[in-house]
Amino acid sequence: MTRLSRRSIAEYVATSLIEGKPSKKALLSELAAFLIDTQRTDELDLIVRDIEYYLAEKGYVRTNIVSAFDLSAETKKALEAFVKKATKATQVSLSSMVEPAVLGGVKISVPGRELDQTIVRQLTVLKTRFKKV
Amino acid sequence: MSEQSPTNLDINSLSNDLRNAIENLDTKKQLDEVGVITRIGDGVAWIHGLRSAGYSEVLNIETPNGIVEAFALNLLEDEIGAVLLGDDAAVKAGQTVRLKGTVLEVPVGPELLGRVVNPLGHALDGGPAIKAKQTGLVEREAIGVMGRKSVFEPLMTGIMAIDAMFPIGRGQRELIIGDRQTGKTAIAIDTMINQAKQNTGVVNVYVAIGQKFSKIARLVERLKQEGVMDQTIIVATSPSDPASLLYLAPYAATAMGEYFRDNSQHALMIYDDLTKHAVAYRQMSLLLRRPPGREAYPGDVFYLHSRLLERSAKLSDELGGGSLTALPIIETQAGDISAYIPTNVISITDGQIFLETDLFYQGIRPAISAGLSVSRVGGAAQTAAVKSVSSHLKLGLSQFRELASFAQFGSDLDEATKKQIDRGQRLTELLKQHQYKPAAIWEQVVSIAAVTNGFFDTVTAAKIKDAQSALLTKLWAEHKKDMQTLDKGDKPDDAMNKIIETAARSAAKGFAG
Repeated sequence: MTRLSRRSIAEYVATSLIEGKPSKKALLSELAAFLIDTQRTDELDLIVRDIEYYLAEKGYVRTNIVSAFDLSAETKKALEAFVKKATKATQVSLSSMVEPAVLGGVKISVPGRELDQTIVRQLTVLKTRFKKV
Repeated sequence: MSEQSPTNLDINSLSNDLRNAIENLDTKKQLDEVGVITRIGDGVAWIHGLRSAGYSEVLNIETPNGIVEAFALNLLEDEIGAVLLGDDAAVKAGQTVRLKGTVLEVPVGPELLGRVVNPLGHALDGGPAIKAKQTGLVEREAIGVMGRKSVFEPLMTGIMAIDAMFPIGRGQRELIIGDRQTGKTAIAIDTMINQAKQNTGVVNVYVAIGQKFSKIARLVERLKQEGVMDQTIIVATSPSDPASLLYLAPYAATAMGEYFRDNSQHALMIYDDLTKHAVAYRQMSLLLRRPPGREAYPGDVFYLHSRLLERSAKLSDELGGGSLTALPIIETQAGDISAYIPTNVISITDGQIFLETDLFYQGIRPAISAGLSVSRVGGAAQTAAVKSVSSHLKLGLSQFRELASFAQFGSDLDEATKKQIDRGQRLTELLKQHQYKPAAIWEQVVSIAAVTNGFFDTVTAAKIKDAQSALLTKLWAEHKKDMQTLDKGDKPDDAMNKIIETAARSAAKGFAG
């Protein structure tokens, strides 16, 4: 049997989820059975990433925001609007996380894309530039 | 309107300006495409995401110690295989990877002359950082048919055996092939030295692929002593460097050489050696899980070298007439030139200089095999002066070696055969040449004429080098102006031939045996 690529699996799952056929429960059982049968359970995380990618292409964008401090509701709303505009999404589901290690700024991650405006990244870029010189 | 007219457009600066604009483009407040490392090992990172990555595109891996660069080589449906260009110690699974937006580029230009750099253009000689005004693409398409011209200008090596029998022209690719320790690198170095000694203006680019840094340090020292380093760029990689750097070294160096070619200058590339390069590529390919073929090399190992050597060319007058000559080196095992990589490179190049171990240990150095060496296009580029005295040299030498091997079985030889063997022995002695002592055109012409025209027939083979030395000294002392004229490379006239004959017969008297 030809090995199905992760992309093909993800595309099938994403399309089925949007169409609602089969039901979410049935679809996930089907996927789980397939992964166990083909001994590909270790690829689960990557398949989920691919599903998110396909869903984002169809306008359903899962967004994760990382910041050093808790963001206000207004800021979150503004960020959601930004993501909606940047990705042309019809639906944005936002989740946020406080991570003091980023020192400051914000990191917005959507499937396959990212906007990293954290201080820690700017320091990393600066460090690399100094190393090159 | 102050618009620049299309005829005034400087395409070179336009492309550079565009590249700078790409690098400095303000991408703030934009979502970058990112991927994530899923596996890492042996200098190869497997990346999920980055669907728009192109072949050979540079990727930035963000590690806590800074950004590590990699370049994408395997573009698969589900993942990308990328080869790291730096230390892989800090690279871990889960780290973010971004597209740099460019393919690999290295600094190029005159700022690199006299420097020792790695394949990324970083200084290795302890000097200041290279601040080149321009960059060149590491992987670049070779010049097309209409942009080229036939090879016609000589690139003198200063090695009599080569310049007389297997002349090399500017823009030619001439392979130097032989077992280990047969003098392959010595030929390349002598050629570099000759460019400085004869003031040819040819820029040397020496690529050391997986060579010990101690050897490179010795080479640099020698080139400095000979006054060649000022017109030389050395691109060095050591055996401890990642395979990716060894793989990139010849391409990066070619980009540096192309700068001079494209600016109406002449450059000489020395790839030392492509066997190690093929081995590095095999290592990378196997780690990238590409299917192995003959001798475990990947299927595109021919393309690996053909696309590299095709970049060496003599440009047409419209493109400035610059040239890039290549002297790739290949190491054989027990003289087997029919192995995979040697046959590949032989078929790509415009000829080969084959060095024989037996000759080397007989003391015939450079140990050039007259029978197996050839220059396919260099004849058109041979200096007229050298051509006038060396037309039958290769045939004579090949016949002598055959006769000599027969002669050892029998004792009775006719007079003509004996004479041919004697002259062959003299010729063999004459073509022996010390390392770092390239000969000028007039020295080559005079020496070869003295033996092939029979002026040295009274001199025993053992004393040929002494007689040659005496002749050269005499001519330089008594006919310096004539010799300077001869050095220009024009065919010697009757008067010049008479001067050579008189001096040679006179010099021979002191060494008659």
